[in-house]
Amino acid sequence: MSYIGSKPADAVLETDDITDGVITTSKLADNSVTTAKTSYFDAPFRNIIINGDYSIFQRGDTVTGVTDQVYSAPDRWKTQIFSTAVFTISKSTDVPSGQGFASSCKWDCTTANASPSATTFMIHEQRIEGQNIQYLEYGTSSAKSLTASFWVKSNKTGAYTVGLYSVDGSRHIESSYTISTANTWEKKIITFAGDTAGTINNDNGEGLRLWFHLGAGSNWSSGTHATTWSDYAQADVLVDNQVNLADSTSNEWLVTGVQLEAGTTASDFEFLPYDVNLRRCYRYYWGWWDKADAGVNATAGGLAVMYTSAILYVSGFFPVTMRATPSLDQASGTNYYTFYRNGAADNFDDFTLQGSGRTNKNGYEMNNSTDISGTAGQAGFIRCNNVNAYIFFDAEL
Amino acid sequence: MIDTVTKNYGIDNEFVSYQVTYVNSNRVKSVPLDEANTDYQAIQEWIAEGGVVIDNGGGE
Repeated sequence: MSYIGSKPADAVLETDDITDGVITTSKLADNSVTTAKTSYFDAPFRNIIINGDYSIFQRGDTVTGVTDQVYSAPDRWKTQIFSTAVFTISKSTDVPSGQGFASSCKWDCTTANASPSATTFMIHEQRIEGQNIQYLEYGTSSAKSLTASFWVKSNKTGAYTVGLYSVDGSRHIESSYTISTANTWEKKIITFAGDTAGTINNDNGEGLRLWFHLGAGSNWSSGTHATTWSDYAQADVLVDNQVNLADSTSNEWLVTGVQLEAGTTASDFEFLPYDVNLRRCYRYYWGWWDKADAGVNATAGGLAVMYTSAILYVSGFFPVTMRATPSLDQASGTNYYTFYRNGAADNFDDFTLQGSGRTNKNGYEMNNSTDISGTAGQAGFIRCNNVNAYIFFDAEL
Repeated sequence: MIDTVTKNYGIDNEFVSYQVTYVNSNRVKSVPLDEANTDYQAIQEWIAEGGVVIDNGGGE
């Protein structure tokens, strides 16, 4: 150890040349250790995926009868089902032991489709906003690799496809993973090269998509599995012998700890505080109450005023700036909502969003002009009045 | 899956949003006229595929 403290000659240092405690913090010059010497991109929010630990389910912890291309249960995760198969998507407490996760997302097949037609597909995916990932430098010689890591479990062993799709340049790269042991959590790590010929627009649109394929018809597998970045071709998506998760109602697929980060190494999952995770989801979906809190004469909504004797107006602000001007996403039904004013109540069925700049990324304006009557100028408040009622604002990708 | 699309008009009788209903669902979406909104994009695709927007005019 005699050369510690003086300039060493070129020599190979072995692990036991430097014992514990010899190099203390004070012996390192300020800023001498850079990210170039760390094994992963160690910036905060290095995980490009939002809600990768499946802690946020504003739409409800369990959604049954999922058959469409919708945001079903977990925030930020889109379900794409084009099949006669039907699934229940839910928040599960079945998690890999000792990893710190409290929940996972579970796909449970409730109606099978063992013989999928050519056009069939089933996808669990997250669409990533383009302006969040400009540092990946796609379309340049410096395009950064991305490493995906996740925990997965299924009764269906075999090969599954996971990949990246870039909508701006219509490009994709696919990979695969194998579930080796039935009903056992397994961690998968996959590195994708950067796309030097790709395009990710610097805007609030979709820049990149991480997609997990759970089965598809021959239109998705008739070509050659695209393991390098190439122009998008549906026929080149699936790995050979891709599992069909819909071939039995006994099938289920669970996933958690999804992380997508720059670099070629998977770091430990980046846990965020619940409130931080929730507010990140609010940029894409936010509501007056969680669906689980709905009820008769129940949860508070917004303040409202009779603009005329027949038009009720409500306006308010979102807790965070939304990605785009959102849609009003609501349940409509007889007397689903109640307006309380002047010591009385008046029920109504739904709202109409006032667009054209009145509703924008920061706030909303909506009305009802079909079910309400009263005295112009009277103010009051809105309550939920049905267990199935909900009011959300949707700016998902 | 989209069932119907109807134009919404504001208090000045201007076209302000679309009201969208879905097949076998009590879900109703009010969709702003914003090209960055994915529901708006879906409506344009639905129209391109032959969907017909209901226009009852203004008159509030």
